[in-house]
Amino acid sequence: MPPTSSQLLLSPAELSYLHSSLSLTPPIRPDGRTTTQFRPLVAESGIIPSANGSARVCFSDGTEAIAGVKAEVEKSQWRPGSTEQSLQVDEDGGDDEAGQAGTQGTGENSWISMSIEVPGFRDDDALPVFLSAMLTEALLADGKLKDRLWINRRFHWKLYIDILLLSAPLSYPLPLLSLTTHLALLSARLPKLKSEGDEDPLFDDDWEASTYLYPRDTKGACLDRPPITLLVIAVGPNFVFDPSKEELAVAEAVIALSAGTSDASTLNKNLRLLSIRTIDPPSRLTPLGIPDALSSAATGSAPLPPDEQLAAREGTDEHGVWNPPRGGMKRAVLAQIIKAVIEPGGVAQEVMDGLMHVEV
Amino acid sequence: MPLDTSSYSLALLRLDGRRWNELRRIHAQISTQAAVDGSSYLEMGNTKIICTVTGPAEGRRVGGGGSGGEATIQVEISVAGFSGVDRKKSGRGDRRIFELSYTIEQAVQTTLHTQNYSGSTISINLHVLTQDGSLLAALINAATLALIDAGVPMSDYLCACTAGSTTNTASSKGAPRPQAALPGLSSLDEEADDPLLDLNGLEEQELPFLTVGTLGASEKVVVCIMETRVQATRLEEMLAVGVDGCKRVRSIMDSVVRDHGKRMVDEG
Repeated sequence: MPPTSSQLLLSPAELSYLHSSLSLTPPIRPDGRTTTQFRPLVAESGIIPSANGSARVCFSDGTEAIAGVKAEVEKSQWRPGSTEQSLQVDEDGGDDEAGQAGTQGTGENSWISMSIEVPGFRDDDALPVFLSAMLTEALLADGKLKDRLWINRRFHWKLYIDILLLSAPLSYPLPLLSLTTHLALLSARLPKLKSEGDEDPLFDDDWEASTYLYPRDTKGACLDRPPITLLVIAVGPNFVFDPSKEELAVAEAVIALSAGTSDASTLNKNLRLLSIRTIDPPSRLTPLGIPDALSSAATGSAPLPPDEQLAAREGTDEHGVWNPPRGGMKRAVLAQIIKAVIEPGGVAQEVMDGLMHVEV
Repeated sequence: MPLDTSSYSLALLRLDGRRWNELRRIHAQISTQAAVDGSSYLEMGNTKIICTVTGPAEGRRVGGGGSGGEATIQVEISVAGFSGVDRKKSGRGDRRIFELSYTIEQAVQTTLHTQNYSGSTISINLHVLTQDGSLLAALINAATLALIDAGVPMSDYLCACTAGSTTNTASSKGAPRPQAALPGLSSLDEEADDPLLDLNGLEEQELPFLTVGTLGASEKVVVCIMETRVQATRLEEMLAVGVDGCKRVRSIMDSVVRDHGKRMVDEG
């Protein structure tokens, strides 16, 4: 696998052009999308019969990912702290029925394990590890998923989420992987529990009777949905969702936002922010442009020594000369981004609603 | 898990209802992904493979020495954690995976015109999504389709399938079987000692089988791998059945490629 695919080769002039067109109001994106518009994608779910839930998403630039969710029954580790809690629940709820009440807050972070395979990378390389950390973080911050994995006091489901990126990571693959995971979790089903109380779990072997990991009402509408993680870049006063490779190359800041359904009431479909991370923008590594005043070829004078050249560059802010961005983004921009993501009818809502319509 | 294959002798039907010489459903698509040079998706029964091919392109220099005027072929196989019944993460440097990729590399070399691409690399990435028997055969078929999609010149299709053998004779079992005591069934047993085509996962656990790959319909065997014990007398007919299966696999793959070509012409 040639390593060149991750590094985009653009000249300083091209970078400057891209940057200035993205800084306009409204910004002009190289592929003509609006700021909140995603690339078209092909998605299907429930494709792998041997997994509890699975999905495949294919972006129009050819990047493709498959996610599979597999659940296995695992024995819970007894811990002194946890018994106290369940005892308390016993007092509150009475006899065996306390099992259901006990699901609140009993989930553990280690019950969800995620692994991401990116071609050309080892599984302990920075990119896959960072990506899986970000996606797991959002799933755990949701808080409700891990509680649903509780079977009884002695057993729980262990959820393995395996994500395969089938193509080379052309742009930062976070949105792709997040959408694929979202769909896979949405289609994930667990067999119906037949045993009661703290017995060894016994499950109904009728798959038709299985329950969705993310519960649905009788009409099939989701009461709760997995979180999604979106990638946003800031350029000047603007922000742009689902950046392509070229846009990432001129980003002043890259942030990943995770949004999930709010736990207050599922009826009002408010979303809440689960996590924000800033990602080191690839634009820091782009080659810088040299203004005419400093170029020995243009002025004909002898080139300045490196330290003086650096000092001279510091002062110039010539239009059209590419300077790799330094510093981060403005607070006002961040506030706008968050608002655009989680407001009712915002981007996260739109993406989730779009993915709900994906058919098996 | 011991499997009851003894029912085969009664109706001459296998566990999934096939007769001895029937293939499972083969479904294939090519050009499934836009970002690579060639890609394919192949289902042989419940074994599902996605293959992508990049190249021939300038690749990483391995070792520094020239590769002697031939293209290097790199085969990478990744088995998804959810592919089997139990979730299993295959570690890097798994011996079995290494052997599979080496076999495919050697097999593909026999049909590709690698001498035309000196100094370049053809990398074949294979993803196993679900596995249910005939893994190597499915991997080879998927790789062939993706290489065709990538437009790498090759002499003929490389197609593979598995062939097994029922072990119902008393001599191979070592112990007399209870059914043989019944007068009418003993003669049936002798006939029921059939070679089987295209084994599924359960049959592979139970029966001796081999994977055979041929170059097109030429009966020229380029891959023949067998990891189980079998009586030497049974080998010949297993091989014959396998080669015959390869011919049928070839015609199916050929129709997939032709359909795709026709669609490309129609759609412009």
